[in-house]
Amino acid sequence: MLTLESLSYRHAGAARASLREIDLVLGDGEVLGVAGANEAGKTTLCFVLSGLAPRSIGGTLGGRLLVDGVDASTLRMHEMTEHVGIGFDNPSTQISGVARTVYEEIAFGPANLGLPRDEVLARTEASLDALGIGHLADREPARLSGGQQQLVAVASILAMRPRHIVLDEPTAQLDPAGTDLVGDAIARLAGQGVSILVVEHKTDLLARVATRMIVMETGTIALEGPTEQVLGDPRLPGLGVAEPSAVRLQRAFETAGLDPSRIPELVR
Amino acid sequence: MILGGIAGPLALVVLFVLVPAAVAGAVRPLLRAVLVLTLPIAISVFLVNLLFFPGGTTVLFRIGPVTATAEGLAFAVEVLARILAIAGGISLFYLTTKPGDLTIDLERRGVSPRIAFVANSSVQTVPAMLERAQAITGAQRARGLDTEGSVAARVRGIVPIVGPVILGSIGEVEQRTMALEARGFGRSGRRTLLWAPPDTALERIARWLLVAGVVALVVARVARILP
Amino acid sequence: MSAIELEGLVHVYDSGVRALDGVDLTIRPGERVALIGQNGSGKTTLVRHLDGLLRPTEGRVLVGGVDASTRTVAQLAREVGLVFQDPDRQIFASSVRAEVEFGPRNLGLRGEALRQAVSDALAETGLDAEAETNPYDLAASRRKLLALASVVAMQTPVLVLDEPTTGQDLAGIRRVERIVARVADAGRTVIAVSHDMRFVAENVDRVVVMRLGSVILDGTPAEVFAEPAWELLRSTYVEPPLAARVGARLGLGSTPTDERLVEAMAVRSA
Repeated sequence: MLTLESLSYRHAGAARASLREIDLVLGDGEVLGVAGANEAGKTTLCFVLSGLAPRSIGGTLGGRLLVDGVDASTLRMHEMTEHVGIGFDNPSTQISGVARTVYEEIAFGPANLGLPRDEVLARTEASLDALGIGHLADREPARLSGGQQQLVAVASILAMRPRHIVLDEPTAQLDPAGTDLVGDAIARLAGQGVSILVVEHKTDLLARVATRMIVMETGTIALEGPTEQVLGDPRLPGLGVAEPSAVRLQRAFETAGLDPSRIPELVR
Repeated sequence: MILGGIAGPLALVVLFVLVPAAVAGAVRPLLRAVLVLTLPIAISVFLVNLLFFPGGTTVLFRIGPVTATAEGLAFAVEVLARILAIAGGISLFYLTTKPGDLTIDLERRGVSPRIAFVANSSVQTVPAMLERAQAITGAQRARGLDTEGSVAARVRGIVPIVGPVILGSIGEVEQRTMALEARGFGRSGRRTLLWAPPDTALERIARWLLVAGVVALVVARVARILP
Repeated sequence: MSAIELEGLVHVYDSGVRALDGVDLTIRPGERVALIGQNGSGKTTLVRHLDGLLRPTEGRVLVGGVDASTRTVAQLAREVGLVFQDPDRQIFASSVRAEVEFGPRNLGLRGEALRQAVSDALAETGLDAEAETNPYDLAASRRKLLALASVVAMQTPVLVLDEPTTGQDLAGIRRVERIVARVADAGRTVIAVSHDMRFVAENVDRVVVMRLGSVILDGTPAEVFAEPAWELLRSTYVEPPLAARVGARLGLGSTPTDERLVEAMAVRSA
């Protein structure tokens, strides 16, 4: 469980805080969707949860982050990586550049931790299975498609065996096929007990994989609740979030005086 | 006389460069690499020594004011042979060693993983930067930057290209660093190495023999046992 | 005269990949066209031919009636403005304003005309308040809008957008939509490569679907997103918009947008 208690954060050299007294819980095994206008603080939230802020990028942190009950300020970066993994939107910059195969790429993380060789291999195999990319094991990471690279990146994070994974717009640079791959992977991981926080603009995707959602606005949480409830909230467009297709259709029906109740069944 | 000075280097080249190259099946790439590496130097060394060797007395032929001497030719050939030996050795090493193998072995023997990482990833950096430079050039041309016109125009075109190449590469470095840190890189302590190049007894013996051989050759040279 | 004409366009990369396998396409001035299809279908390769960044292996590219092979890229940039997907592979100036000025200045605009073009583009993309800001002090999504502004300011007869809505929040998407509408209203041509089917269905007159280097469908959104075309669409990993799927299930014919679906339902119940 990741808990933020009155968490504030200001980037190094910034005039204003990017996160302002946020209270949030990411429970074990849940998929939490995060939406919001650009610069609402979504990426900063990911950096804080993963420990990169302030350890890697500096800045000032106020309040507390509790990682499975432990105050994170006592944890070094490599200790954080064993609790919280983070994935970014650019598939190619997450590839280490020193692995000749996808297998080596995934093993890179556990190897860095100095784990026994058998353990490293076991975790690599498990990650390949969890993401369903066993068939890519011998391929060169740099030659894969964006979607495949993103899967390799998530698998590599998973090999660190974090209890929680934070994904910052993982499908931003992917085509629909790649988006589906990542969406399926998120659902599969959640089914295996990993807690996932995923930031996305694609509310259709969040509707599919997230159980709970928050919408951020200028550093605070403006909306919070079960996914369906949040995505149906009329305040969404005002918060800079594009409503999912089904919700937009519903609004169009309501505005035209038509009965929208059949839409959910028609959406399959 | 002409051939006297080259016996030594020639023997080295044949024994320690060409034979292993043949065993590794890399003779043609080796010859190509050596050619590329040494041709410019070889030509100038050869010509300078052939035509301007001080103290050359046995004249071979004249071209205008310059004189080609046999002593010059002998010296030129000797220097050339040494250059070939060195270039051959270096090329052989690069052609037969995979960069990943080398850095893993160094790491196994105690070199810091960070240094090994830098060595490994630099191989990828140049193609990545070239690709980036190409993409940027394309984007700027699409905004009317003239890269096909006058020299002055092309020189002016450098800034809109170099800037994003460098800034973008730096920006990427930041992203890559964070991704690496998120995977435990930079933690103090040894990394687990999944495998290492095998080091057979034969290879160990060969290494020691080679080192001993070099020492012996140097001693022999200094003691003037060998020319 | 057509704005863009492709005749039997074939492109084979040095690596041997045959990215375009004989494309014939005619685009008329003022048309709003979307180019869709999975990654690798040839969309990006195709648009790079429009300003000469890529040259045909076989076939011809005609821009404004002129064979593109007789023009340099800088010359074609007067006709075709191409906005790339990654703004960081383009931005070089130290201020937003200077960045936007670069393109039109290269095309020869000066003085009042230049100033006007730049401030119009800044206003349209919502960057006017940040005109003197360093581009790298902007968030990534706003840099994408900056890249868009810098090409819009060139006021070219043809505007090509490569994935204009990725990474944008709702406000950003609205700005892109307004720019597409404004440019088309002025009689200019817009070509958008996009994965966002809702954006496509609502903002273009014509959809060209590509797969493995060929055009497999070409028509209005209503034609392309109609049920008979779904199998072809899915073969290139394109999913029709929700409104189209719902309309088909209700037997209302082709309803690619929410608006059309609502209209069709109103008609039926009337």
